[in-house]
Parts: sequence; C-alpha cells; structure tokens
Amino acid sequence: MKLPIADGRTTWRYAVGMLRRHRGAFTVIAVLHVLAATAGLVGPWLLGRLVDDVTAGTTADHVRDLVLFAVATIVARAVLQKVAQQRSMVFGESVFAEMREEFLDTVTALPLSVVERAGTGDLVARTTNDVNKIQHTVRFGLPQLVVAVVTIVLTVAATLLLSPLVAVAMFVGLPILLVATRWYLRRAEPAYQRESAAYAVLNGTVTESVEGVRTVDALHLGARRTGRADADLAEAFAAETATLNLRSVLFPSVDLTFVLAPISVLVWGGWLAAQGSVSVGTVTAIVMYTMQLTGPVWNLIFWLDEIQVAATSLSRIIGVRLVAPDREAGDAVPASETVTARGVRYAYREGHDVLHGIDLDLRPGERLAIVGPSGAGKSTLGRMLAGIHPPTGGSVTVGGVPLVELPLEDLRRHVALVTQEHHVFVGTVADNLRLADVDAAPERLRDALAAVDALTWVDALPEGLHTEVGSGGHPLTPAQAQQLALARLVLLDPHTLVLDEATSLLDPRAARHLERSLNAVLAGRTVVAIAHRLHTAHDADRVAVVDGGRITEIGPHDELVAAGGEYARLWNSWQHQ
Amino acid sequence: MRPLPFADPGTPDLRGPWAYLRWVARRQAGVLTAALLCGVVVFACQAVQPYLVGEIVDSATAGGLDAATWRLAALLLAVGLALTGTAVLGHRLDVRNWLHATFRSSQLVSRTVSRSGQAVSAELPTGEVVSAVANDTFRIGELYAMAAQFLGSLVAYAVVTGLMLASSVELGLVIALGLPVVAAVLALLVRPLNRRQSAQREASGRLTTLGADTVSGLRILRGIGGEKVFTDRYRSQSQRVRAAGVKVAHTQSWLDALQVLLPGLFVALVVYLGAVHAMSGRISTGQLVSFYGYAAFLSWPVQLATQFLKIATNAHVSAKKLITVLRVQPATGTRPATATPPAPGAVLRDETTGVALEPGRVVALVSPDPDESARVAVRLGRFDDAAEAATPVTLGGVPLADLPKDHLRERVVVAEATPTIFSGRLGTELDVRDRAAVADLERAMHVADAGDVLDSVPDGLAGELPEKGRSLSGGQRQRVALARALLTEPEILVLVEPTSAVDAHTEARIAARLAEARRGRTTLVVTASPLVLDHVDEVLFLDGGRVTTRGTHRELLERPRAAEGGEAAARYRAVVGRSLDEAPADALAPTGLGATDAATTDLAEDRA
Repeated sequence: MKLPIADGRTTWRYAVGMLRRHRGAFTVIAVLHVLAATAGLVGPWLLGRLVDDVTAGTTADHVRDLVLFAVATIVARAVLQKVAQQRSMVFGESVFAEMREEFLDTVTALPLSVVERAGTGDLVARTTNDVNKIQHTVRFGLPQLVVAVVTIVLTVAATLLLSPLVAVAMFVGLPILLVATRWYLRRAEPAYQRESAAYAVLNGTVTESVEGVRTVDALHLGARRTGRADADLAEAFAAETATLNLRSVLFPSVDLTFVLAPISVLVWGGWLAAQGSVSVGTVTAIVMYTMQLTGPVWNLIFWLDEIQVAATSLSRIIGVRLVAPDREAGDAVPASETVTARGVRYAYREGHDVLHGIDLDLRPGERLAIVGPSGAGKSTLGRMLAGIHPPTGGSVTVGGVPLVELPLEDLRRHVALVTQEHHVFVGTVADNLRLADVDAAPERLRDALAAVDALTWVDALPEGLHTEVGSGGHPLTPAQAQQLALARLVLLDPHTLVLDEATSLLDPRAARHLERSLNAVLAGRTVVAIAHRLHTAHDADRVAVVDGGRITEIGPHDELVAAGGEYARLWNSWQHQ
Repeated sequence: MRPLPFADPGTPDLRGPWAYLRWVARRQAGVLTAALLCGVVVFACQAVQPYLVGEIVDSATAGGLDAATWRLAALLLAVGLALTGTAVLGHRLDVRNWLHATFRSSQLVSRTVSRSGQAVSAELPTGEVVSAVANDTFRIGELYAMAAQFLGSLVAYAVVTGLMLASSVELGLVIALGLPVVAAVLALLVRPLNRRQSAQREASGRLTTLGADTVSGLRILRGIGGEKVFTDRYRSQSQRVRAAGVKVAHTQSWLDALQVLLPGLFVALVVYLGAVHAMSGRISTGQLVSFYGYAAFLSWPVQLATQFLKIATNAHVSAKKLITVLRVQPATGTRPATATPPAPGAVLRDETTGVALEPGRVVALVSPDPDESARVAVRLGRFDDAAEAATPVTLGGVPLADLPKDHLRERVVVAEATPTIFSGRLGTELDVRDRAAVADLERAMHVADAGDVLDSVPDGLAGELPEKGRSLSGGQRQRVALARALLTEPEILVLVEPTSAVDAHTEARIAARLAEARRGRTTLVVTASPLVLDHVDEVLFLDGGRVTTRGTHRELLERPRAAEGGEAAARYRAVVGRSLDEAPADALAPTGLGATDAATTDLAEDRA
C-alpha cells in the first residue's frame, strides 16, 4: 500500500493558504524589500547625472552633494535590507516550523491500518528527506524570490522613467531569455529529480554493502558490489550529463541576453544622443541598469528551479493529510471482556479475500495458539482480533461492541498486539515506558520492569531509569528492547493480548530469558499466540489451525492429535520418533 | 564527453589529505588545466567589458555614431560572444572536474568496502562510510569545480588593477587596496555566522533524528499510545531549531546589510574621486564610467576568492575523513598466499574441535550451546585471519590462512544465520555467480520452499527487491538466502540455522529437499531441529568444545545409555528431544513463544 501524494492543485492551495494565514507579516516584508530595492536604484542614476554634469561643467560642491545623497541612500538601503532580510528569514523559519509540526501531528494520527500496511519506510523518507528538501526553499527561496522579482520590476521601471525611448533597446535579447528559460524550466525538475534519485540509490548500495559486509565476504560478492556501485555511478553520470546539457542551453542564452542588452542600449542610445534627443548620462545610467539586472535574473531562474523541486516534496508532505480515517469511534461501552469474531472476512485487494468468514470465541483467560503455513492468513487474523484493521466483512467485538468503534485509547486497554518488531525510542528508559502511561510514577515503572525481569539490568545502567537509550544513546540488546516493550504492556494492562511471533527473530538464548518476562505479562490475560513453532501450540489451552483463510481445526492439543487430521500429521512429523 | 565511472580509479596516495587531493589533481590534470584556461578567459573578458563601455561613451560623446564607435561596439560584442562561448565551455569543464574527483573518490570507497570484509564495520560506523560517499566526495569535487573560477578571479583582479593604474594611479591604488579591506571586514562576520549556522544545523539534525525515530516506531506508538509525548517532544525541538534560525537570521542580515553598505560606499568613493578627476580633466567621462563599472564588478571575484578558501578548507576536512575509510585493511587475505590449494575432495577440518567434513557427506552439527556450533561454522569460512590465528582450520591439511582467498571462497561457502538480502532483480540477486539458468533458479527456490516469494514479488524472478529485501518477511528472507547459498554450488557448503525463522510445515519440506539437493556433496548444517537432523547422512555432536559422538539422528536417538557413546547420545537427545519423556510439557515455557531450544537444553541438562 502506497501513501497518497497530493496533486498540483492541492499543493498550490496549501501553499497559498499558508501565506494567507501570515498575510500581515508577508506584506510588511514585501514592502520593506520594495523600499530596499528602490534605494538600490540610486547608483546608476548618480553616475548618469555625474556624466552629464561633468560634461556640462559643474562645481565640486554639486558633485559632493550628489555623492552625499548617494551615500545616504546606500546607508538607508543597508538598514532596510537588514530589517527586511531578518524579518523574511524569521518568517521562513516560523512558516517552516509550523509546516513540519503540523506534518508530524498528521503522521502520528494516521489510522492504525494504514501504519501497519504502508510500513514506515516511506513515512521516514517524507519526515526526513522531504522536510529537509523544502527547508532550504522556505528559508531562503521565498525571500530571495521576492527580492529578485521586486528588484527586476523596479529596475525596469527606473529605466522606463529615465527614458522609455532608450530603454526599449534593453529588451532586444528578451525573447531569447524567455524561450530558453521556459524550455529549461519545463525539463529541469524531472532531470534534477533523476539526479538526486541516482545518488540516493548509490547511497543505498553503499549502506547495503557496509551493513551486509559479512554476506559480501562470505558469498564472495566483492566484485558484484563494486559493479553495482559503478552502475549506480553510471546512472548518476547519465543524469548529471542530462542536467548539464540543459544548463548548456540555458547559460549561454541568459549570457547572450546580457551581452546584447547593454550593447544595444549603447548603440541605440549613442545614436539618440548624437541626435540630441537624450543625454549621454541617461544612456550611461540605463546601460548600468541593464548590467545590474543580471544578478536578480539569475537568482529568479535558480529559485524557480528549486521551487519546482520543493513543490514535489511538499506534495508528498501534504499527501499524508489525504489519508482517510479507517474508523469512527462510537460511545458504546463493552459489557464484558469477551472477544468474539463473527464471519470475519478481509481483503487487502478487492475480490481477493485473505480470510473467508472466520468465527471465533475467545474464552477469557485462555491461551489460544494459531498455527498454519505461511500465507494462510494467521497474521491478518491476529490484526483483526487486535482491532488494527476494520474487517471487510463480519465483526470482531469485545463485550458486544465492535473493536473498531472504540476510541483508540479505550481499544488499547482491551486488546494489544505484540509483534517481533521492537524499536527503542530516542529518550530515557522512563520515556520509553511512559508511552503506555504518560503520568506513571517512577515506582510504577520500576514495578513494571521488575515484573518482566528487567529491573536488574535497568538499575545497572549508568543513570538507571534516566539513561538515554535509542539511536545514539546507550545500546540495548534486542532482548532488552523486547523487555521494555513487555514492560509497557504491563503498564498498559489490556485484558487480551495478540502475540505475533513476538520472539521469533531472537536468538534462542535471548528467547529463553524472555520467556520468564513474557509469562509475567501473560498471567491472568487472554492470549492469542500466532506461532510457527509447534511446541507453542502444544502448551496452549486450545489450538486453531488456519489454512487458506479458514480455521480448519480447533480444539485442545490432545484432541486434535487424537482426531488424526492435518495438525496430528504435523505434530507427528515434528515429534518424529 | 568520455563516460564515467572509471574502469580503474587507481591507487590513491593516502599519506595525508593534501597528498590525496594532489593525487586526484594529477589524475585529472588535463581536464583541470583546460578548465583553468577557460576560467582565466571568462574573467578576463568580464574585466575588460567596463573598459570598453567607457571607451564607447567617450567615442560617442566625441563623434556620435562614427566608425570608431561602431568598431568599439563590435569589439564589445565580440568580447561578449567570446565570454558566452567560453563560459558555457568552462562550466562543462568545471562539472567534468567535479565528476572526475567525486566519482573517483566514490569508487575508491566502494572498492575498499567490497574488499575489506568485516574490518570496515568493525572499525567505522556505517553512517561514516555512507557519509564519505554521500558528502565527503562531493566536498572534494567542489575544490576542483571551483578552481577555475578562483584562478579567474585572481586574474580578473590583476587585469582590472592594471587597467585602472594605467588610467589613474591614485584611483587604481584605491581600488587595488580598498577591496581586500572590504573583503576582510566581511570575512570577520562570516565566522560568527558559520558558528550560528552550525548550531542550527545541529539542532536541525537532532530534529530530523527525532522525527525519523518517532515515525520508525509509529506502529508501536499507534498500537499502545504515547503519540502526544512524541509530538510534544518534536514540537519543542522544532521550536529550538526555529530559535536557532532566528539567531542565524540576525547575523545573516547584518552580513547582508554590510554586503550592501561596504561595496556601496566603496563605489561611491570611487565615483566621487572619479568625478573630481573628470572635472579637472585628468580622466575622461568614459573613464569615469569604466571606474564605476570596475568598482561594481570587482566585488564579485573578491567574493568568489573568499568562498574558495572555505571550499578548500572543507575539501581538506573531507579528504581527511575519506582517507580514514580508504585506509581500512581487509580482515582476510592481506598476506599473499603461501600454499598451493589441495585437489578437490580435501577434508575441511576445524583443528580446535575436531569437526571434520568428509567429502561427499551431508552432515549436521549439534551443540548444547548454539553459539558454539555457530562459531565453528564461521571459522570454517575464514572471515578474520588475525582473530582466527589461534583456532586454525585446514583444508586437506593446509591452513586456510595460507590459501589464496579467492580460490577458497569459490570452494567453501558459509551461509550465516542472519544474511543480508540485497536490493535488485530477484533472479540476479539469487544467482550471485552469474551462471544459473532459469530452471536452476526455480529448482533452488523449490528446495528452499520459497514459491510464495515468487508470488509476493511482482514479476517473480524478474521483479525488484527493495533495499535489504525489506518487502519480504523474516522467513521469506531466510529462504531466499538459502536458495542463494545453494546456487553458489560450492564444493563445500556450510549452512548456519537455515530454517530458524520458518514454520514447521515449511521446515519439514525444506529439510527433505535440502538433503536431496546436496546429496553426494560436502555439506554441513548447524541446527538442532529434528526435522532437519532426520534427513542428513550423519550428525556430529559438539559438547564442551569437542565432538563427543557421531551417528545418524535415528541411531543417536535409539542408542542405549549403556552402549559406547551412550552418555553422549543421551545428552544429544536432551538437546534435540521434544518428546514428552525427555522434557515434560509443564516444564517447557507455558506458552513457549518462540524457539526454546536452549530452554529445553537446560531442563534436560538438569535431569542428566
């Protein structure tokens, strides 16, 4: 299952909405930039005046006054620039902070079923890469874009004010500029995306090679891995060549425009000056203005390019907002702690049922083992029983209330799913435990740890409960991580637990230690254990054999063995002797 | 443009960062020289433009649009066209320089990683190696990409100074000396800016970590709660990043303001002096225009030159990080082989424990301590010459460390318990020796009972696996790894716990097919699963560091305690036994979630 990506219109609406919310601040910034850019127009005008005045003959005092006026505007511009720049950067920071916080709120509120099925890879990429990609644009791009546009417009306006007759000559190269830029911008975004994708693949290859270095060595894959990295580089080279070729058209076109413009103004203005219709000073000023346009025009093109890339990331970020909720909480209160499944069907894809009408009554306090071949639907059934996915047909209820109609906080107090996945969050041991109970007192945390046989090693940590763990913190073994997860369950205290191969990826010795911890958690609860080891089944109160999306056999171990069905056959081959 | 990457990136000079950077420069001397020439031409063209504009103004003032003015305009156009052409050529060469340096460095890293074996992960965190490719090679490339602009800037500065001194010594000196002062003042502000920027980067990196951490554990968060704790934590860090950004904005805006103020005042000074000179007739109005042009233009090369110093510093830091990676010595095979390989059919023997693999037999290795048997299997593979020196393994009597490594890897393959599945086409990733036909692949997938993998990967064998085979379940990955190991078809195959993550149905099928597929070829399986043990030719029982007994699974199960090796057989039964009389049901972990081989063992040992 893929997470949605917003289309262009939705993205645009979001961006406009964001600006609208900060209309006031944005307007102030724009005005400040307009003032600063206006002050920046003084240089060429001063030069033009001086050229005319010197030619006509003037006094040193007049020159000094002109220059002092210029100095005053330069100082004014610097001050305006300071305020405008600071304000727009602060603005960018605020907007960006708001955007990423809103994003994380949306992500952490995603429906359970979506999180389970979409996996976290794509979401992590959106949280890290995409958020980072737009940060540059939001922080610097927006202000720079405003500055560039304002400067271009005002500079052109200034030349037209000085002499529209002379100024028309500066547009001689404009068609080249427009055609080339349009051509470039249409192609640039996919080309640069391809480029960064190529490097992402290369980084992935190197990561795999380093993390799988034992496998590389054991299977003698060195040459293959080098070949793969070289192939990734070849793709990066092709992508780089493509973008380079795009720039090889754009750059000379822009350069040519800015070569032609001042020359045209000079020649045309020179002719007009010879006719006496304009002064040499006016021509000079306009020449200088055209030259001064180069910087803002380059900036504009550059940021338009970057904004296209950022828009792609933004569409992925706000795409997460388009996920529809998978359930609606009602206000019915369960009458008992009995979990019942009736006619449960589930299809990941329409028309392809994985479960074909399952009926199951969990008896409070019992231990039910679910066995069956891979792909039989065991895990899917487990997720139904834990209320992760709303079933496509039928219902799973607790005390008469469908699980998916319980508010999430209540659901968690009834049923919890424990998987082999364990993740230690960045933070202290206490932080990791308090997920289950935000206000738990330290004594409760210690009790929970003691219950799962983990208090000894937690106390032995450098700072005990307050030791920083998780990525970059004190390293924990997979078994310790799993114990933390179990301690959380003790705090959460649901009456029913669904265990999906909770310890299967651990090495046997770690699993042994965990048995004890686990038993403490399981005591007094209803347990559904999805297992791939038959002795799990042997020790359960009842065994359900799931095959092809149906419960084919159900009953106590001994009865099933005596019945001589599929389970008996399996058990015998396992027992063997 | 000659395509990259290089067939052979060469042998770098690793004596130090500068030595490495020099070595890279020498390897691309041709492209680098061409780029430097272009850079010089481009900047020289830019530098003479204000001069020509001034000449045209003078000429037009004196004689209108006469032949002289036209000639000058044509010259300005020619310079402009030359500039346009050279600039694009120069940009292409700059990029080429970047690519050469970056790709060469990147290739060196990937070659080091491929050769090093476990040494690289033992010496360096993964992140550092990946960052060498993702960041450091880029920073190194920038040095060569910017070199031409740097040299061009210096030349432009010299040209302009020359032109100005020719017109007016006084004005020339003001520009030649004044601009470096402006640059120096600006450089002073750059340092606090960098400090604040790096503070923000750090806060921002922490924020990214928090975000990634929250999302990685999202299944848990959504399953048991605590989202609010995490969003609050993210929010407060996000606000810290914002606050750090506000500080950056403060310094940055000062810098921007000064970048307007100082060059602006400088231009005003030049214009004032120029106007005074022009009034007294010491220079022409055209020259006044030129001076304005020079003053306005020169801040650009000065800025570039300052920037280049920063780039060079970064490149030096990155080169230092890169060579730490490139200096990693492989864990095996650094010493040349001293022995000729024995003929096929040689016995592979672990001298420490006495585990010996007779040619053509499919055997299993069982131990009360699964770590111990796994350690023996790993030794048989020769993964670390230094660490394994004390526990020699021989092939036909020759220590493995004396054999050529490439040869050994073809003959002996050890597939470990937690292998990595690599991304790529499933068929290609299975056939790591590039010699299997489709029928072979299908047969191997059948032996590993991995038919469901072919169904779950779109397009089956031609389908793509994501990074580390993430789309597959743990059991599926294990079976793909088994098929991959089988397809290497080595003379001697060692499999460590090949079925630990699959269900009993599947394990039963794999056990039968695996033994059949390797029948007659030397194979060792480390396992304690009776489903597998029942199908092998012989079982070796490793107990307390030595092989204490051997025999078929059935024979060991039935051997009386009183017979020779009877005690050892009893211990063996305790390890593998699941029958009720060996390990009472109530003594097994009540819900027994997961493989409790060791738990069973302990109980049995207590009874023995």
